[in-house]
Amino acid sequence: MAAYESLFATLGLKGWCHAGESGSGMMSMADLIAKTDGTHATGPSAWNWPFPSLDVLNKACPAIPPSRDVTQGLEQGFLAIRGGLRLIIDPLTQPLSWMLRDMLWVMTQTPWWIVIPVLMLITWVVTRSWRLVAFVLISIGILAFINHYTAAMETLAIIFVCAFICVLFGVPIGIAMSRSDRLQRIVIPILDMLQTLPPFVYLIPLIFLFSVTEPKLYGIAIILYAIVPVVRLTDLGIRLVDKDVIEAADAFGMTARQKLFGVQIPLALPNIMAGVNQTIMMSLAMVVIASLVSAPGLGVLVLRGIRSLELGVGLVAGFGIVILAILLDRVTKASLARIDNSQSRR
Amino acid sequence: MTKQEKDIKVSIRHLYKIFGDDPQAAMEDVKAGMGKPELLETRQHVLGLNDINTDMRRGEITVIMGLSGSGKSTLIRHLNRLIEPTAGEVLVDGENILDWNETRLRKLRREQMSMVFQKFALLPHRTVLENAGMALATRGISKADFETEANKWLDRVGLGGYGGQYPHQLSGGMQQRVGIARALTSNSDIMLMDEAFSALDPLIRTDMQDLLLELQGELHKTIIFITHDLDEALKLADHLVILNDGRVVQQGEPQHILLNPADPYIEDFVADINRARVLRVRSVMTEGAPEGDISGEVDENDNLESVIAKAEGALDRHFRVMREGAPVGSLAMPAIMRALVPARSSGETAKR
Repeated sequence: MAAYESLFATLGLKGWCHAGESGSGMMSMADLIAKTDGTHATGPSAWNWPFPSLDVLNKACPAIPPSRDVTQGLEQGFLAIRGGLRLIIDPLTQPLSWMLRDMLWVMTQTPWWIVIPVLMLITWVVTRSWRLVAFVLISIGILAFINHYTAAMETLAIIFVCAFICVLFGVPIGIAMSRSDRLQRIVIPILDMLQTLPPFVYLIPLIFLFSVTEPKLYGIAIILYAIVPVVRLTDLGIRLVDKDVIEAADAFGMTARQKLFGVQIPLALPNIMAGVNQTIMMSLAMVVIASLVSAPGLGVLVLRGIRSLELGVGLVAGFGIVILAILLDRVTKASLARIDNSQSRR
Repeated sequence: MTKQEKDIKVSIRHLYKIFGDDPQAAMEDVKAGMGKPELLETRQHVLGLNDINTDMRRGEITVIMGLSGSGKSTLIRHLNRLIEPTAGEVLVDGENILDWNETRLRKLRREQMSMVFQKFALLPHRTVLENAGMALATRGISKADFETEANKWLDRVGLGGYGGQYPHQLSGGMQQRVGIARALTSNSDIMLMDEAFSALDPLIRTDMQDLLLELQGELHKTIIFITHDLDEALKLADHLVILNDGRVVQQGEPQHILLNPADPYIEDFVADINRARVLRVRSVMTEGAPEGDISGEVDENDNLESVIAKAEGALDRHFRVMREGAPVGSLAMPAIMRALVPARSSGETAKR
């Protein structure tokens, strides 16, 4: 006898519970085992009395759905709105696919003797440090020497595009949050959720929405995961701007716009740049996971290492990712330090 | 309009400020006579300013003095509406600025009123020159156009040649000079100074006070100066307003307040200052032609300390008081001695 059967009986709901049943019906394996066990007559003791969960209640009263029905409902619900969702999201995110495809094409099809100097030039422009320029040359040189050049460029291309879009959307969202407490209260839980959701979970609904061959599938996953720090730190940075300076700006009659672009953003820039640095690091973490859904690059090699137990391939690709991470981190940190210095130590 | 009314640049009428969730409801209680402690207890609202009435005259330095929590910083922020009052009027050139819309208010802040802050509040990412020209840049004037004006005032406050530096490269006193140059470059006729010298060390503070008096001698701006330092207040003020717990306790000419404190609070306040150095001959002299032996001449703006020095401490001396070279009255040493003893307020005397 199931644990809660008597409860439904005393409540007089027996008729409702078994309304949908057709006679004796089939017996489940569990019931059979219970029958042969001999414990059937006594039922569970007080010590191991089950929690009234959906599955337990379902056993006592078939009219209550088991919990698998709930997840199934979610699936069916999602599949039902999938068409409509695709209709909206597909064209909106199409530019992302184009950008990723073009960037991948540019980074891999341009000869190495152009790409490497261009990367070194960019490093020089943002950091003004010969040491870092040499570091870029050496690390990419090592990766190219062990034949990981193309994979590394693919990974870099994806990160460039995704980090750019994160900044493009994240900074304005952060600014809007800093100006409205209500918006901040709404956005912060969303950011918390994006940050704590296991990265694999991002991929599940996206696989249903888009075909696996589309670059935007992994693009969206990376952006959702990596946009959080830039939004947070932009909001924080603007809120932390010295109240006295803001008051002075008001006292001299600055408009909201003059204040934002002339005072708040410049003074929040160190924090915003710290957010950009974190965003780049997080997109690098996600780009490996995204190789599960056809993101090219070093992640594919790591995946190959796991799938076919090619230890060396996986380790070397992992090492390559570490090099890229150090590279991106040092370059963004150095440019951040340069911004800090050109301002003041407040 | 009489001449005196015409000279009033800024005036505050029945100004109240209540901090809390529902200031208007609390306002009813205050109008009905509820005091600050009761209001805090019954409604959890803070009475920041309580029926402030004062006039600030054109070309004068009005000093608003009070201890921390007396509402002086709140009061000065009402003059350019950085804080909105709960009730009352703020008149600038006879017009109530509380009726003004945002555009007009911004014009006031850009062109008519400038402000100097206790913590300098310079823009750390702009050079000294750009900071000095901030008011003009805000009006949309390009750097090339405000450069001359900004450099002129930087020179005037003693910072010639520092234009290319950043604020953090300067000392506190120099940063505040930039703050003053910024206020002067805006060419506004009203300057609000919120504890402008309080963050500086004593010697530099004295320098800055002298600089301000020197500039004021040339420029005749309407300056509203906030301080918690009585010596500073007495040194700078043409008109002194003393605040306590959001109320004006006494206002008037500083010498007059010193000689006739209105209540025990002011008495305590003025008890510790060096009266001989602050009081001037004109405040204690007897008008009319001097009689008897004259042992010397003093100017009406000399302080008593210098007169005592001149008399070499002897009590039987008698001086002729001169104003711009003409005799206007006389001063006997006993009068000086009497003035050096702190006066009791009328309230206190009655109690004894």
